[in-house]
Amino acid sequence: MTKTLRNLPGHLVLVVACLAALFPIYWTVLTSVKSRVDIFAQPPTFWASDPTWDNYAQVLADPEFVRAALVTIVVTLASTVLATFAGALAAYGLVRRGRFGGRGSFDGMLILIRALPGIVLAVPLYKIVVDLGVYDSPVALVVVYAAINLPFAVWLMTGFVQGVPYELEEAARVDGANQAGVLLRVVLPLIGPGLAATTIFVALMTWNEFLIPLVLADRSAKTLPVYVGGFVTSRVINWGGMAAAASIAIVPIALLTSLVQRNLVRGLSSGAIKD
Amino acid sequence: MTASLTTPAPGRVRSDAPRGGASVRARRRLSVHATYLLPAWLLVAAVVVVPLGLSVWMSLHNETMLRSGRFIGLENYTDVLTGDFWPALGITLVFSLAAIAVQVPIGLGLAMVLNRELRGTQLYRSVLLLPMLLTPVAVGLMWRLMLNADTGVINGVAGMLHLPALNWLGDRTLAVVSVVLVDAWQNIPFVMLLSLAGLQSLPDAPLEAAAVDGATGWQSFWHITLPMLTPVLGVVVMIRIIESIKLFDIIYILTQGGPGTATQNLSLLNYRVGFSFMNTGQAAALGIVICVVLIPVFWLQKKVNEQ
Repeated sequence: MTKTLRNLPGHLVLVVACLAALFPIYWTVLTSVKSRVDIFAQPPTFWASDPTWDNYAQVLADPEFVRAALVTIVVTLASTVLATFAGALAAYGLVRRGRFGGRGSFDGMLILIRALPGIVLAVPLYKIVVDLGVYDSPVALVVVYAAINLPFAVWLMTGFVQGVPYELEEAARVDGANQAGVLLRVVLPLIGPGLAATTIFVALMTWNEFLIPLVLADRSAKTLPVYVGGFVTSRVINWGGMAAAASIAIVPIALLTSLVQRNLVRGLSSGAIKD
Repeated sequence: MTASLTTPAPGRVRSDAPRGGASVRARRRLSVHATYLLPAWLLVAAVVVVPLGLSVWMSLHNETMLRSGRFIGLENYTDVLTGDFWPALGITLVFSLAAIAVQVPIGLGLAMVLNRELRGTQLYRSVLLLPMLLTPVAVGLMWRLMLNADTGVINGVAGMLHLPALNWLGDRTLAVVSVVLVDAWQNIPFVMLLSLAGLQSLPDAPLEAAAVDGATGWQSFWHITLPMLTPVLGVVVMIRIIESIKLFDIIYILTQGGPGTATQNLSLLNYRVGFSFMNTGQAAALGIVICVVLIPVFWLQKKVNEQ
């Protein structure tokens, strides 16, 4: 009994914090199923007296939304594979050879990508993409996203590659394996979980990217965040449609991350904490 | 893949690197290892090296999005430095300092409570992490919905409590407060997560010893936990400074830099110059200026990487 009492303030803090974290999400989903009358009701109503799917029907029936969803899925998949592949290879090269010519400049480039506001690169990239004739093309998005997420992939994968004992690779070489065999049969299985974690993170960041598609795409390569963001630029805001679009954008993320939360927590924490 | 693509430096091989046999063989393998960086270098060249080089060239010409320009020397730079640059730099710093001042104490406080492992901690943690995983654009929309002066739930609740309705996104000061608030809502979970991981990695012995010596909770936090946690908190602060300086999505959705230029940070200003005013030459010059003023931030990122 005394223990419960002592823990009460702690629970209180956590419950209040959880409410603060959940309420905006609840309110958005609620607004998306409210009728027009309920949306503008004053004082506000905290439940939907007459829930409607009209807002979702309207968004899902919009061909622009469907195309944006498809583009986002395809671009996220392709770019994630590219960034994780290049990042894992680079991490392997960096770990196995601590220093060689160009190491410093490579690190410098990764720092630039991480710390520079994306818009600084987006201005010249726009010109390049237009000149190359790939403006509004998913291909341009795939390459640019992959480069932007590369530092994160390298950083995460470095930790996992460091966990592979070099003796194992040497042993495989003594047994006659060539470098490709060593990579595929020795290194890859050991860094598998790391690759999976990196893939999830990179996919999450790629899915959420807004500035790059805003600048480098218009109609045919418009992504979901840009489509969803488009609801505020019109003069009269369609609150119900906007809430429905926002709900659609957050649901896949919420599902995915609840499935992989253990990996997520470990992966994010591993970088900052040294045993 | 050819071994000659990258030339290995004759420099010292780190002691923890694998030892080759003859130096020729070692060198050859060194360069093979360097080629593992080739795909990454190609990406970096296409998206960083070439664009930044082009930016320098663009910044010296009076080109716009619609026409190529002629060489005008440093005129774009003087225009940038006499324009909205300084207020934008100021508000960027405000957002960054506010992010640290708000997010670190709250995130660390929540981590301390979670670290007590009360019943249901797993569930609490899962719920508390949610905001950081949401698409920033969606977060901006959610809050724009709630902060709307006429129809938003926040003023609605204020009305029920007989508090005055505030023009959250339309008032110059409140708009800054709103951006800080929404950025905090989304990113406190990140601070909390890393702080929690840091707390869990601390040894128990010093705290137990302090408890035996009769230290109060506050004393052991101030004199033991906090000093031991400093390295982790340092990384958290540096990451949050860098990310808050880059802040774009949330501001774009909430206020688009307004009202006026009240929430126009460097990212928003550069976007506006390049893509609203279509003055690409001046936007490129601003980008180069941003690179220069962010040199201390690159140094911070270097420190983070070395951790």
